[in-house]
Amino acid sequence: MNYGNGVLWQNPRTYFLLAVILYGCSAVYSIFLWRRGFRRDDHINYLLLLAGAALHTWAMIQRGLRFDRCPVNNLYEAMTFVAWTIVAAYLVIGLIPKLRHLGAFVAPIIFGIGVFALMPALDVPYKDQPQFRNGLVSLHAALTLLSYGAFGLSSVAALMYLTLEHDLKFHKLRAVLSLLPPIDRLEKITSRLLWAGFLLLTAGLAFIPFLVKQRPELRLAADPKVPWSLLVWLLYLGLLVLHSRFAQSGRRFAWGAIGAFTFVLLTFWGVNLLSPAHKF
Amino acid sequence: MPFLVIGLSHHSSPVTMRERFAFSEAAIPDALEKLRRQTGAAEALILSTCNRVEIYAVTASPDPPAAAALRKFLLDYHRWEEPLEDEIYCHIGARGLEHLFQVACGLDSMVLGETEILGQVKKAYELALRHRHTGGSLNKIFQRAFNVAKQIRTETNIQRGCVSVGSVAVELAEKIFSSLGKHPVLVIGAGETGEKTARALWSRGARNILVSNRSHERALALAQELGGRAIPFDDWAGEFPAIDIVLSSTAAPQHILTRARLEGLMKARKNRPLLLIDIAVPRDIDPEIKFVENVYLYNIDDLQEIADNHLQQRKEEAARCQALIRDKARALLPAAGLIGRPDLAVGNG
Repeated sequence: MNYGNGVLWQNPRTYFLLAVILYGCSAVYSIFLWRRGFRRDDHINYLLLLAGAALHTWAMIQRGLRFDRCPVNNLYEAMTFVAWTIVAAYLVIGLIPKLRHLGAFVAPIIFGIGVFALMPALDVPYKDQPQFRNGLVSLHAALTLLSYGAFGLSSVAALMYLTLEHDLKFHKLRAVLSLLPPIDRLEKITSRLLWAGFLLLTAGLAFIPFLVKQRPELRLAADPKVPWSLLVWLLYLGLLVLHSRFAQSGRRFAWGAIGAFTFVLLTFWGVNLLSPAHKF
Repeated sequence: MPFLVIGLSHHSSPVTMRERFAFSEAAIPDALEKLRRQTGAAEALILSTCNRVEIYAVTASPDPPAAAALRKFLLDYHRWEEPLEDEIYCHIGARGLEHLFQVACGLDSMVLGETEILGQVKKAYELALRHRHTGGSLNKIFQRAFNVAKQIRTETNIQRGCVSVGSVAVELAEKIFSSLGKHPVLVIGAGETGEKTARALWSRGARNILVSNRSHERALALAQELGGRAIPFDDWAGEFPAIDIVLSSTAAPQHILTRARLEGLMKARKNRPLLLIDIAVPRDIDPEIKFVENVYLYNIDDLQEIADNHLQQRKEEAARCQALIRDKARALLPAAGLIGRPDLAVGNG
């Protein structure tokens, strides 16, 4: 099934492209906010991301309506879903003026994910029908992708932590002038988002045995996605255990959250392309 | 009808003179009654604080005679017979409005951008309003002054950043800890600056305060005032695992906290963030400590530098505020039914 043709304005990818352009504008604007040290509550960035999210949502709705199911059927859709989760969470959190500056950290990440998702090779047309034929598969995909969204947000909070921590440590004036939340709150947010992501990932992975029963032809032993998922799960488990049990807090924890998500971002697409179970 | 401001402030006169011209709150209603009777002012208001005594009036008579009458009232009321130079100023029309807006915004205050003055202006206005000494013009002028002050506060950085060492320390603590009430503070040495900073922390919610001083009686006295606990000077390290903020200001000739000692203590604290404020000279805390992870060390010069930077920024921001105030004042003049020569400032003759 091909879904990339038709009049330009009828193509969901066009709306997603426009959304990514707005995210890009927001990312550029964020550079100025960083340079100014987040001294003022800024609505422009929030509005840019809101407009981008509206187009993004419309693009996803169009895809979903076309197939009458959750639009997470190939890598393009998976990436757009992760980006949407992050931006939607930000738009809710950003209603609190003190946390609105989170947008400056969110924008570059979702812009990066968006540009990546737009690569033509990732939007492979389905064969006869979408791969996700039942609710269980959709649930598995949605939960795991939501978990990546939570991990993405946690790395955003960790980035904010490192920015403020650096400014405080080196006595930068912008540390006291900025509107960023206190570092202990940022660490708490990072930790809670990691826990949320970890629980979602665990729940998503818990469906795998049931999915295998539905598709006995799948050979998980030969699928690189299985050890990769296990590695990601262990990575986040290790991070959380080190934080809660062995007082690995502060900078190390923040770098851990960013490093783990960077690993997910850089390897997710490659592992999916190699995975027979995730070829659509 | 002309709008006038006549008075004296910390810019124009010493405290010995300001205290002679001050009006007690209880005396203001009667003073306003006399002022209106003697000068023919249609509406009037008296603002009397420790840094200024000012009369704001809308008069029926033309500017110069009205200004002279208000000045005579001020001198006669306080029985001032000594010669004057430039201590008493008078602003008329748009210049008077600009002055009021500057006062309400803290631009004319001793501490640039402070907010206490706005509360004092509001109080003076409410007093005059309650005793029916204000009318359509002054009501409009003062309501606009409050709006301008709000706009200046929200749209500019004139009130951003603390300009005293104590409040900078509090601001730093609030950048590390979301609620000071949950984080124990250890005050080592109960000197004057240390005491002021401890009080600043207390005023922003710090409730668990431990005081340790070589003179235990002094520690007890300060701890009692702050609702905290005094501990013997040799025992403060024992309390360290629970402490999140340390305020040190002893007269010790050498460091009382070294890097090696702190690294041992940090393990007991499970690497929780620690704010160290060293306001002692010579310094109490080894500067090498700043390299310890999760530790934030600030000495008196660091705090003073931040305070000075904030003050400099406020001064730079003041120019923006002045431009905004000028526009607002000029726009209000016809709207409030006032006449006035926009740029006229009457001398002190």
